[in-house]
This record gives sequence, C-alpha cells and structure tokens, in this order.
Amino acid sequence: MAQIELENITKRYGEKTALDHISLCVRDNEFFVLFGPAGAGKTTLLKTIAGIEFPQEGLVKINGKTVNQVEPMNRNVSMVFENYALYPQLSVYDNIAFPMRSRLYKKDEAYIKSAVDRVTKMLNISNLLDRRPVQLSNGQRQRVAIGRCLVREPNVFLMDEPLAHLDAKLRHFMREELKEMQSSFNTTTIYVTHDYMEAMSLADRIAVLNNGKFEQTGTAHEMYYEPANEFVAKLFGEPEINLFPAEPYEEDGVLKLRAFSKDTSLIPRGDVSAALRENGGKTVDVGIRGADIDFSFENRGDGWVRGSVYACEPIGNKVIVTVTVAETQVRVVAPNSTKAELDSDIYLRFHTEDLLYFDEMTKESIGRSGGKRPAEKTKQAEGVVETWHS
Amino acid sequence: MNQNKRTAGSLLGALGRNVVLIVYALFALFPLIWMVLCSFKSDVQMYNTVFRFTPTLENYRNVLFGTDYFRAFFQNLLVSGVAVVITIVAGVPIAYALARYDFRKKEDVAFTILSFKFAPEILVCLPVFLIFQKIGLYDTYFGLIWVYQLVTMPLVIWVVRGYFEDISVEIEQAAELDGYRWYEIFLKTLVPLIKPGLVAAGLLAFIFAWNDFTFPLILSGFNVQTITITSMRYIASDTVHYGQVAVAATIAVLPEVIVCLFIQKHLVRGLSFGAVKG
Repeated sequence: MAQIELENITKRYGEKTALDHISLCVRDNEFFVLFGPAGAGKTTLLKTIAGIEFPQEGLVKINGKTVNQVEPMNRNVSMVFENYALYPQLSVYDNIAFPMRSRLYKKDEAYIKSAVDRVTKMLNISNLLDRRPVQLSNGQRQRVAIGRCLVREPNVFLMDEPLAHLDAKLRHFMREELKEMQSSFNTTTIYVTHDYMEAMSLADRIAVLNNGKFEQTGTAHEMYYEPANEFVAKLFGEPEINLFPAEPYEEDGVLKLRAFSKDTSLIPRGDVSAALRENGGKTVDVGIRGADIDFSFENRGDGWVRGSVYACEPIGNKVIVTVTVAETQVRVVAPNSTKAELDSDIYLRFHTEDLLYFDEMTKESIGRSGGKRPAEKTKQAEGVVETWHS
Repeated sequence: MNQNKRTAGSLLGALGRNVVLIVYALFALFPLIWMVLCSFKSDVQMYNTVFRFTPTLENYRNVLFGTDYFRAFFQNLLVSGVAVVITIVAGVPIAYALARYDFRKKEDVAFTILSFKFAPEILVCLPVFLIFQKIGLYDTYFGLIWVYQLVTMPLVIWVVRGYFEDISVEIEQAAELDGYRWYEIFLKTLVPLIKPGLVAAGLLAFIFAWNDFTFPLILSGFNVQTITITSMRYIASDTVHYGQVAVAATIAVLPEVIVCLFIQKHLVRGLSFGAVKG
C-alpha cells in the first residue's frame, strides 16, 4: 500500500559504515528481497526504513513523503525482528494482539479476536495462544513474531529473516503462505534473507547487499543468469558456480579461450567475442553452473575435458560430483543414478552458450553468451531502479 | 536390600540436612529471640540468664504510651518510605540510561554511584552536617531524605541496570513500531520485566534506610527523630532500661519482617536473576 524510497542513505556506527550511499525504490505491492551475507547491512537498512535507526545522510520516503523526522510509531510499518522481540510477560495471544491495543492502531476486542484467530490458524500456532514466549521453541516464537507483524494493515511489512529458525519443511510451507498472503493482501513487503532459495522463490525483485552497498538489483532470473559480478554469481545457486581463469587467444580469426593449464580450448559463442576483445585480450574468469556441464566416463573426443572424480555427494534428487581438472575443482550436477568411483577418469563438456565471463581483476561481468551485459539490461527493464555503484 | 539401603541413605541425608538447617536457624535467630524475651522481662530480672521469668507488659506500656515512640515510628516510616520512592523515581531512569545509552565516562559514572556504598557513612557525616547547618537542612525531613539517597540509590541503580541490560533493545523497538509512545513502552513492556529486581532492590533499600543510624544521629535533632535514635533514649545516664530498648527494637523490626514475608518470593528471585545473568 505504499512505495518506499531511499535516497543516498548513509549510516555509520562509529568508524564502521553500515550503509554506504544506498538508493532504492520499492514499488507499491512489491515483494522486495534484500539478500546478502551476514554483516552486509540488511538489518540496518530495514531498521532505517522503520525509523528505529537514523541515517547520518539521505532521505527515507514513504509514499513520496519524507519521513526522516517521523516517529516510528507514526510511520505505520510492521516488522518481524530477527531475534523475535516478543514481549516475555505476555501470552502468545496478547503478543499478537499488542499492536491492535495501542492507542494509535486501536481495534475493539471482537475484531482483535478474529484477527488473531486468522493469523494463528495460518501460522499453525492456534494451540499455543495461552503460552508465554519462554515456553515456545524457536520456530514457534518466530511464527508468533510473524503473526504479530501480519495482524496489522501497515504501509509496509519489514521482515528480517522471518523463516531462518523454522525447520526445512515448515519453511517451505511458510514460504508459499507468505507469497500467497502477499498477493492477496496487496502490501509492500521488504524481506531480508540469506537463503538464496527463499530470495528467488519469493521475490519480485532482489537486491544483493554487500558491505553496505548494492551489488546488483533485479529479478531472480537476472540474478541467476546475468549476475553483475562474481560475488552475485557465487551467492545464487547450489552448488556454487564454477569459476576458473581462461586466457583468450586468436586462431584463424576466431577468439578462443585457453583454460586448465592451457591444454583445453573453449570457443565462446560469437556474440561475446566482441566484448572479450574489447576487454583487451586480458585473462578472464569463466563461470559455469554445475547443471550446464555434460559428463561422461568415456572419452568422447573433441571438446571433452579429462578430469578425475574427487568427491561424489548424493543429495536426494541429484548427485553433486566434484571433478578435479588440472588442479581446479569443478562441481557438476549429475542425475541421481550416477555412481562414480573416486579418482576414476571422467570427461566434461561445457555448454559454451551458458558461460559467464568476468574480468579477472575487478570481478565485474563482461558478458554472457546470448545475452547483453547484465547491468545494462537491469537498468532497461527496471527503469525506476537506480542501483548506486561507488 | 539395595533399595532399602538407598532409602535409608536418603533418609539420613534429609535428616542431616534438616538438623544442620535447624541449628543454623537457631544460631541466626537467637539474638532476635533474646530480644523478644528481654522485652517481656522486668528490669529486676533482666540480668538472670535463665529462661524462667515472670513475663510483664510493663516495658511495652512504658515505651508505647509513656514516650513518643509512635511519633518516631511514623517519622521513620515517612523518611525511609519517601527516600525509597524518590530513589525509584530517579534511580530507574538512571539505570536505564546506564544500561542503554553510550556516553563518555559511562562506566566511571556507574562506578562512582556504586562507590557511595563503599564509603563509611561517618566519613561524610561531618561535612554534610556542616553544610546542612549552613543551608538550613539540619533536622528537616528533606535533608534526611536527601542524604538517605546515598544509602538507597546505588543498590537500586545497580540491580535494575542489570535487568535493563538483559532486556533486548528490540523489544522496545517492536513496541515503538506497534504504535506505543515512549512512556507507554516503559510502563507496558519494561516495568513488568524489571519488576522482580525493582521490588527486591527497593525493599532492601527500604530496610537499609529504615535501619540507618549514623545519618539521623548526626543530622537530626528533636524535630525529626527516627526509631533507631529513639531506641537509644532508653539508655539513661544512670540506668539502662534494657527491657525498653528491647521493646523499641522488637517493634522496629516488625515492618521489615512483615514486608519480607510477603515478598519473599520476589526477593530471592529478583536478586539472584540480576546477579547471575547481569
């Protein structure tokens, strides 16, 4: 029900800069995910929007109005705290009813009862209403905290890792519920997580935050297929993307890449050759996802790279085979039936249309076969977004 | 057989524990019992060390109706009570500031407050006496209540500060987002959480103030008299009326004992929580 804008927000704690000139626009009704490693400044960003942390520089706007000077209580935002922040002296029912009993958001008791019933049913905690927070498990506490956030009808929901302490099954279920709820409530949501699957499944858009700066802003699809740099590429996907250096060279007017101790040639698709040439023929880092690699236990000839099996981990629906190729480890996603002897020979073939190229020094993306440079595309597709790069 | 042994062992253990506790209780309570016994003795029988004597209420009549004991009792109640109320009203915000805010020399301030407790009262009494004489606070309620803050404030601040530090700041932030004003947050979310510590520390502060002897001895005259000073008056220059002193003391401990019995639960929990976790 509201558009949230941040303009050039800087927040310092003493010497440490938690947020470094952050600008962001979260559109009305958008499910926006802030994603990044621990200590990136995600929670600080949420608290800045909520008004419980004050930025040294920059403006926070809700619905176009600058709210820097507005008290948190008057901003009408609802937040799930990472450490739950439940009121220990109140029962679960009273905890969830607490916001509706404040003078500002006063509701009558009958309404409160129905609202609490609604969220506790959805969160599957209606049997715990009389308990105190100390009598709950972490997962239950977290659900109570989500409940207290959801009973309101705020401008924006701010959720700080709301599913982090739930068990895997419940987390999956809650993910669907949140998505469903968000589309039916029509409320802007800003959601903090460090789980890439949560980020990708929930988000309309994702912003990757690192050291107080945005690395990239875009849809889940863009994050996965067109990462702006190696940092983003590594964050999304399991197993982690394979990165290895490769040296470009010209042969018969065709740009080729030499990798793995120079005994392997990769031929990039034609459309990235120009970008690679533009880069000055310097060594690049090549990235490829484990699912984009074919493998075989027999030598199939040209285009196949020989390696040896280093590890083989079945993880239920697939097997991750780690292959050592000339001292580089490459993780390959294999079908569940795969059985590989350790140290046995294995041959790999990379899908050259799925290769990602990064500058070896700056780690920024150079391009991708069959795609434009990610940064440009992000800007074109998401005209409102202004990602601030230093 | 084995089973029997074990039950016998645990029975012996329970018996031993109880015997030790009873012995200790007798040891600890004996002065009190002795005091109560003395209060029923006449001056003649006072020096008999046997427990056989004719109980008399003479001492009680003399003290309660013959002197202005009740006046001192209520004055003591007033001075200690108001001192504790002021301590709580001022000390809880101080404790909050010391727990939550980061300012320069914070630990020094906190330690200075605590150090009021180290200094013997007699050390500061004379300078305070001289100052009070000058500014007209000698022998007034206000002066005594003020100086009692030295006795009561450090305790409350240190116990309650520990409690505030244990409360996650996010709870306050959550309440802020839930639409509560700062004083509502304080009353609805913080006060219930610090209550055990506040009650225990407040009660102990009251007992310290109630029992204080040095300050009222030097800083008050005929106008304001606390019970500890009044009890002294039964020690006359020629004879010492031990029976009457005992009566005065017996009645003086009554409020403390009664309050302690009522809030025993809070007292143990309140002080141990803060100390262990803080």
